[in-house]
Amino acid sequence: MSWFHRNPSSDVAKERLKLILVQDRSLLPNDQFERMKGELINVLNGYFEFNRSEIRLNIQRNVQKTVFEATVPVISVKRGK
Amino acid sequence: MGRTFVVTAGKGGVGKTTVTANIGASLAKLGKKVVVVDMDIGLRNLDVVMGLENRVVYNIMDIIDGRCKINQALVKDKHLNSLFLLPASQVHTKDDIDIDKVVDIISTIEGSFDYIFLDSPAGIEKGFESAVAPASEALIIATPDVSSVRDADRVIGLIENRGVTDISLIINRYDVNMVGKKKMLDFGSVVEVLGIDLIGIIPEDKVVIDSTNRGEILVSYVNGSPATKAFENIAKRVNGEEIPLMDFTQNRGLFGIFRRRR
Repeated sequence: MSWFHRNPSSDVAKERLKLILVQDRSLLPNDQFERMKGELINVLNGYFEFNRSEIRLNIQRNVQKTVFEATVPVISVKRGK
Repeated sequence: MGRTFVVTAGKGGVGKTTVTANIGASLAKLGKKVVVVDMDIGLRNLDVVMGLENRVVYNIMDIIDGRCKINQALVKDKHLNSLFLLPASQVHTKDDIDIDKVVDIISTIEGSFDYIFLDSPAGIEKGFESAVAPASEALIIATPDVSSVRDADRVIGLIENRGVTDISLIINRYDVNMVGKKKMLDFGSVVEVLGIDLIGIIPEDKVVIDSTNRGEILVSYVNGSPATKAFENIAKRVNGEEIPLMDFTQNRGLFGIFRRRR
């Protein structure tokens, strides 16, 4: 692409900024992440039997979106109530 | 009771100290009693920007450590009778600050002043924390570039977490011509991504450096320059007046700058 047809740098800046802020804002501070993990385990505990050490939590970011992924191998489903 | 603001940015070099001095001086010109507090312990500069470096005797660490009373540390401005500086210490580091004592000092002087501005150091460490802790309102300074806006976003999040909900944005060093050529982020984009209220835009203006060289606060030294007007307008907005933003939307050179909306 020739120099004359490049995007205006202000547009480039805005696009870069948006992507950077999406990433920055999705970063959970460590203490909050641990707290969320604890709360999540408490909730799941009411419904499933599982092994705490096998839980995998992951936050993935790409250009369009941020995905929070939790993998919880279930031993059995708690019945009743 | 005075209103206490933290002036902060995250990033260094975006104009926190210059903005603090000029908004403080503009409010003093409106007849308000103002104190500007240098919270950059170890790297003080507000005294230099105000041209008061030779008049500093005591500083905020002297108050904290009991070597002087609050009134003894306040330095009166050269020109404005109702503007005062509370200097930072140059020999201590930010780790020496006792945040609870800073909060005590500020709440003591809130009774005697209309406005208190805490000039935060760059960064998000203890110096920043001690500038935020006493404040109930915040002025975020950003220049129209990716790094500065990114840091501003981070700082806004931290300040919100500390219970400061009244947060306004000042865009500094705005170059209308570059924006017109699409070589600089326009203020609308900055406001859009940060999502906080804009309280003013300060145009890039060579007189700022010239007055700082001389140890004069711009609004006390140059009347009617674009940056002077911008500072004065922000002060009036802080003080509750409704002043429309300068019109930066059209690239009309200097005349465009002064043309008001509608």
